[in-house]
Amino acid sequence: MSNPTLTPTATIPQTAGIAAATAVVPKQQRRTGGGWRWKVRVTPYLFLLPYVLTTLVFFLYPLLHATVLAFFQTSGPGRRVFVGTENFTFVLADPDFRKALFNTCLFAVASIAVQLPLSLGLAMLLNAKHGRMKAFFRLAIFAPNLVGQVFVGILFAMLFTPRYGLFNRFLHELIGWGLEMRWLGDPALVMPAVVIASLWLYVGFNMIYFLAALQNVDQSLVEAARIDGADPWDIFLNVTLPSIAPVVTFVVVTSTIGSFQLFELPYTLLQGFGPNNSGLTVVGYLYNYAFDSGDLGTAAAVGWLLTFVILMVSLAQIRLSRKVSDD
Amino acid sequence: MGFPYGTAPLVILLIAIVSGAAAMLSEATSPRADGRPDLIFATFSKEHAAAYQPAVERFELEHGVDVQLQVVSQRALQGRLQSSMQVGADVPDMVELLDGTLGVFAKGPVEDVGFVDLTEHVHREGLYDRLVTSRFGKWSSRGHIFALPHDVHSVMLAYRRDLVEDLGIDVSMLTTWDEFCRVGREVVTKDLTGDGVPDRYMIDLPADGGDALRLLMLQRGGAMFDEAGNVAFDNPAAVDVIDWYVRRVAGEDRISFPAGWGQNLAKAMTDGLVLFYICPDWRLKQFESDVPSLAGKMALMPVPAWEPGARRTTTWGGTGLAITKQCGNPDLAWKLAMHLYYDPAQLGERFAQTLILPPLKQAWTEPQIDAPSPVFSGMRVGRAYADLATQVPEEQSSAYMTLAVAKLSEAYNNALAHFQAGGEANLHEVARNELKSAAGRVRTVMERNRFLRDGAEIPVAAAAGTAKGVR
Repeated sequence: MSNPTLTPTATIPQTAGIAAATAVVPKQQRRTGGGWRWKVRVTPYLFLLPYVLTTLVFFLYPLLHATVLAFFQTSGPGRRVFVGTENFTFVLADPDFRKALFNTCLFAVASIAVQLPLSLGLAMLLNAKHGRMKAFFRLAIFAPNLVGQVFVGILFAMLFTPRYGLFNRFLHELIGWGLEMRWLGDPALVMPAVVIASLWLYVGFNMIYFLAALQNVDQSLVEAARIDGADPWDIFLNVTLPSIAPVVTFVVVTSTIGSFQLFELPYTLLQGFGPNNSGLTVVGYLYNYAFDSGDLGTAAAVGWLLTFVILMVSLAQIRLSRKVSDD
Repeated sequence: MGFPYGTAPLVILLIAIVSGAAAMLSEATSPRADGRPDLIFATFSKEHAAAYQPAVERFELEHGVDVQLQVVSQRALQGRLQSSMQVGADVPDMVELLDGTLGVFAKGPVEDVGFVDLTEHVHREGLYDRLVTSRFGKWSSRGHIFALPHDVHSVMLAYRRDLVEDLGIDVSMLTTWDEFCRVGREVVTKDLTGDGVPDRYMIDLPADGGDALRLLMLQRGGAMFDEAGNVAFDNPAAVDVIDWYVRRVAGEDRISFPAGWGQNLAKAMTDGLVLFYICPDWRLKQFESDVPSLAGKMALMPVPAWEPGARRTTTWGGTGLAITKQCGNPDLAWKLAMHLYYDPAQLGERFAQTLILPPLKQAWTEPQIDAPSPVFSGMRVGRAYADLATQVPEEQSSAYMTLAVAKLSEAYNNALAHFQAGGEANLHEVARNELKSAAGRVRTVMERNRFLRDGAEIPVAAAAGTAKGVR
């Protein structure tokens, strides 16, 4: 049975176009009228509205508020005083901020220089065609990431205990040294301790990215290189690495950003920020001002400085990796 | 008629409407909707809350009111209270504050402090004379008392009595730190296993100085801040303590080991690795529960004095009860505070439960204070702490206490690094210079606080022109 509303269209010549067709189809006419067109235009925005509203309320407003706050000193809901750029100049001149920035950069460099090669190495080992229990090792190496920074902080605080800590006892048994090493009490050893704890936490996480990238490397290229006489190192350098370059860039950028946001791990590991602020990070410095001192203006200024640093470092890394890819 | 955007958005919309309605209904029918309790009292200590519960119930019956007792972790309590006061949001009527946190709430002008000024109440009730007076320092700012002291927290040394007696040490002779250190060296240098690693240490001292440095400085007569709130930790007492402390944790005169906290501490105690432990009364209960195997093997002695005949104790920690300015019935809150903290009839039982000595001197005659402790070799621990309570040094609160303690620790660590690198040459001078520099840093930060500068307080109305949009 034919649809009566559509039947008349058969009589309309093709050249008459859609306008002519709609002119003789009442229902079609309703659907392409002004109201319908408005609905079609508005609908996507209605779908976007919850996200936009949430972003405005919980992101944009606080962002703007923090910007204004960075130029004030406050005392409770009742008092505030405009201080211009004083919060910024104070922070930039503060030796504790410089120490926090140094520690954070040190951690970021260690993350990239130690953590990522380890992650890549493990990924390559676990990407091997043969090998028993690959799945088990993948899970085992990734598993520490499931427990989070606070757990790892508490756990390693015990491992690093002088005399009784597993780490100290292991070192003592292995090389006859380190039984009473104050990993968390000696300013010179605090950052190495934080880096060691973070290795356990993050190596497996980044390994998963590298593993996924390695599984997408074109094996015909690898085979071709091998037939041409390339050794494994050449293959890695000239085939594997260029193939996984986008993932490497991604991991380097996210690791750097993550490193600059470091807070919970040293805070729980050291029950604070360690002797001489040797475990103080930029976010820790911000936390001190916002929640220990209640100086929200200075904390907001630190937040903006941190954002600026992360932005600059990330842009530099992305440009550098693009340049390397182009070359 | 169909939903114009399709079935999926319709389902999502329906779920949103139903769940929203359910949430509103649940809020409307919750017990809290029947009305806020007459008083909400928040504490950070589960032990305190358990001890207060029977007293709160009695108070509710006597006054025909509803009191809600909340336990919130210390970090969360401080953070939420700070944030709520910052924006003028709802806060509990009464809160227990941890030592050192009042200053955070008293950074601005006195009238901006979010707690009721209790100074007049304290004097009217005669509390200033009935309590250990020095305890008000922690809970005062610029001469105004904002919280009531819960405790005295005098400090003694807890020790492994069995091992100390085996070693032939007579603790009654350890009256000064000099004598204590001399005996300590004999303990540390005895290598029982012959592996070159000390088998026993005399005392548990944190390697980074931590709170121990501060409480030893207080014992010696120094202070972090003076009564006017000025930085004072670059004093001669602090120089002497750093000089002493550095030699106790490093070098050939070392007698200490950092036993830490929790399981590590319990292990060090059980193994007998460390003999003496700094022990305020709040630590007694921890020792009881964490190392039950040492029951009957522990004992207490007064802290050795810096000079013969000088102070044999110091103080570590504290809790204060404050009434917030948003409290709808401050008189009722005051009555509850008096009932919980200073009713002698229940303080004896409370001591038996918590082993924390109350600051109300009248309560020290309660029989529980003289009860022998099976853990501490039958000692009357309450009496031992009460005997030292009036010697407890006064400590002032400050918004910059956390920073000052960190800087004191920094000065100590720099002096320690100097000692480890070059020995004791110029150690005293280095300690003095480091303290001067550290205190100067705290002063610089304090000077930034425009609300504490005379004549620089700017009320909202005056600042509105320049601060549009900021609250």
